Amino acid sequence: MNKMIALFALFACGFPASADEIKLSKFQIDTSVLAVERGVDAFMNACHGCHGLKYVHYRDLANFGIDKDKIAAWRGDSTLDSAMSSLISDEAAMQSFGIVPPDLSMIIRAREGGASYVYSYLIGYYLTTDGKTGNHFFPLTKMPDALDISSATDPAKRSDLQGKAHDIVSFLAWAADPHEAERKTLGYYVIAYLILLTILLYNVKLDVWSKLKA
Amino acid sequence: MPSRIIKWIDHRFPLTSFIKHELTGYPTPRNLSYWWNFGFLAGFVLMLQVATGLFLAMHYKPDASMAFDSIQHIMRDVNYGWLLRYMHSTGASAFFLVIYIHMARTLYYGSYRAPRELMWWTGQGLLLLLMATAFMGYLLPWGQMSFWGATVITNLFRATPFIGDEVVVWLRGDYAVGDDTLTRFFALHYLFPFLIIGAVVVHLVALHTVRSSNPSGIDLADKDNIPFHPYYTIKDFYGLGVFLIVYFLVVFFFPHSVLEPANNIPANPMVTPDHIVPEWYFLPFYAILRSVPNMVGGVVAMGLSVMIFAFMPFLDRSRIPGGAHYRPVFRLLFYIFILDILVLGYVGYVPPTSQTIAIGQVATIIYFMTFLILPFVSKAEDKWLFKRGLPPKILALIASEEEEKRKRSMR
Amino acid sequence: MAELDDLDDTGRRDFLLKVTTVVSGAGAAAACYPFVASMNPSADLLAKANTEVNLSGVTPGAMLSVSWQGKPVFILRRTKEQIKAMAANNGGLYPEQDSDRTKQPEWLVVIGVCTHMGCVPNKEGEGWTCHCHGSLYDDSGRVLRGPAPKNLEVPPYRFIAADKIMIGEA
Repeated sequence: MNKMIALFALFACGFPASADEIKLSKFQIDTSVLAVERGVDAFMNACHGCHGLKYVHYRDLANFGIDKDKIAAWRGDSTLDSAMSSLISDEAAMQSFGIVPPDLSMIIRAREGGASYVYSYLIGYYLTTDGKTGNHFFPLTKMPDALDISSATDPAKRSDLQGKAHDIVSFLAWAADPHEAERKTLGYYVIAYLILLTILLYNVKLDVWSKLKA
Repeated sequence: MPSRIIKWIDHRFPLTSFIKHELTGYPTPRNLSYWWNFGFLAGFVLMLQVATGLFLAMHYKPDASMAFDSIQHIMRDVNYGWLLRYMHSTGASAFFLVIYIHMARTLYYGSYRAPRELMWWTGQGLLLLLMATAFMGYLLPWGQMSFWGATVITNLFRATPFIGDEVVVWLRGDYAVGDDTLTRFFALHYLFPFLIIGAVVVHLVALHTVRSSNPSGIDLADKDNIPFHPYYTIKDFYGLGVFLIVYFLVVFFFPHSVLEPANNIPANPMVTPDHIVPEWYFLPFYAILRSVPNMVGGVVAMGLSVMIFAFMPFLDRSRIPGGAHYRPVFRLLFYIFILDILVLGYVGYVPPTSQTIAIGQVATIIYFMTFLILPFVSKAEDKWLFKRGLPPKILALIASEEEEKRKRSMR
Repeated sequence: MAELDDLDDTGRRDFLLKVTTVVSGAGAAAACYPFVASMNPSADLLAKANTEVNLSGVTPGAMLSVSWQGKPVFILRRTKEQIKAMAANNGGLYPEQDSDRTKQPEWLVVIGVCTHMGCVPNKEGEGWTCHCHGSLYDDSGRVLRGPAPKNLEVPPYRFIAADKIMIGEA
């Protein structure tokens, strides 16, 4: 509840970005195999140079259902068993950015606002008057505009980049919680079973207590 | 054949007599409401936590360099590891919810009164053990909130007179919370639940000595007691079914509602998160701690806010049994207290502003005042209620209790 | 305590109780499954069931020792003389053709665990010697002498390239 209020407050602060992003207060995560696959693709192009996911292994993508050949193209020399670590070393990153780009395995869970926040952040870059980039959602960020959305004025281009950001966030959402689908499916079965069992227990209870003389 | 085996055992072990005495022949008041289910639920959640904790311990690594990774390993690679972890984290919250309701029932119905003082005090001991267990358990994931929460709370022991600094270092095993702290907290977190089980046994022995109280406050006649089994065994199982639905709804669909986002970031001794906040079940006490501007004062106030419950049998000077049942002023105090705790919880959660600090201080005063005015209010209310008139059964009970007291003091 | 009423409609009662007991029992049994399953090897270990080994750089006569499923695997690149010597006879105590134990005669792949009590034998000149109880194996991993009851085990493996093998699947 507090997260929703905080996020709404952030949105309500008002900023000169286009209206459709602001309204996306509830990001619809699409964790279908296709969306995640597009997300990994976009991630590899735009993010993998600096960010890694040390807790996600290439074999996890294979187990999820992504084509092994696609994965082979993404992992290059790394084995299927290895983690999706970034291409830049910590030292080199410190030199270039003054900060080590955070690992993204849990980023959706590690930020207030979750997927909505990360998505808004990615598309929240804008050009300042002196030609630098700023970010509406995390002004102190040292991360450059990876999707180059700040210079995209053409609506079709913006929409395309927003789609990329959407896919990346969908991938990151899956990465932070790969068992979510399984959890929810099992959940439906367990709750259904428990409702049945509780109804039975209730009837036995009524039965047993009916034996009592008033 | 089974009866022969049972006879063989009975010769050597009080199996049948135990079952008869404590279950099938154990008299329980017939009018217990569903508020009496929560003791059983607490015992069930205890077993759940021990089971899930044990299986998690097979994969968890209590080392600062491996702890966070081992949790990821559990969540991602261990078969059903994610389920064990969510059951354990939700279970901790469920445990406190059940215990708080259990305590509220006891306070409302005055079940802490003689002869049930020891039940209340063993319960108090159980609450302290549970709080310690939960606090230590929270360090184990070694996230940002784990680390900094442990840093803040272990720091509080600096309030110990004369040896405060040494105590803090001794607790931590190091000058700051670190690997030594983590490993020993794991060892203790594994141990404490078994101490809790022992204390629960003592709690139950006490219960079976004085027998359950009941909503009317009056000890029911023999004919109005019914055997615990099958009446209350089935009622407890039914209540368990309802509880499990709620519990598993959280486990499967909202497990993150009890997991702080900041704890998904590995502990960083160099960076404190903007907003350190304990788990919800500690929030009211945390608010009281922060309400007192002085460090030692805050610690003392927080400690007192937990321990003051123990004084209830002495603070409540009413002779009328049944707690809030026949006493409207006591009932009002009870509701004010509950509301006050919720306000304190909110104050403990939000970042402190001058407004929330002020609210917190008022709420803290109200918290302690409800206890401190009780001796006077209860006596005054008694006077008023006797004048107004009470049910004859109550008057009879009070009269017989006076007799008992007089007889005992004369011996 | 209150007297128990005479039971009427016992048939329905019994059925309800039976059904509830069965449903509860089934649930309790099902609930045990995740606990038991969690003790089985986790996904990362199952992935390590197969190990890829690069054979380039192993000169004839040299041996490579790799870890597979936590055990050592000896990969011996045999010289022409060694191959001839191994093909010449069927080994000592448990005769087996050398060609049955290799996919390519140049490469011997065996699990480096003595079949007696589990020690790791040492490569000493020809073959291997186990210093725990004195078993002696030839360059095909066959027992020549000693208490070992079986020849060194050949794990499932296959060539995925001229100089790469995958241990774990045939």
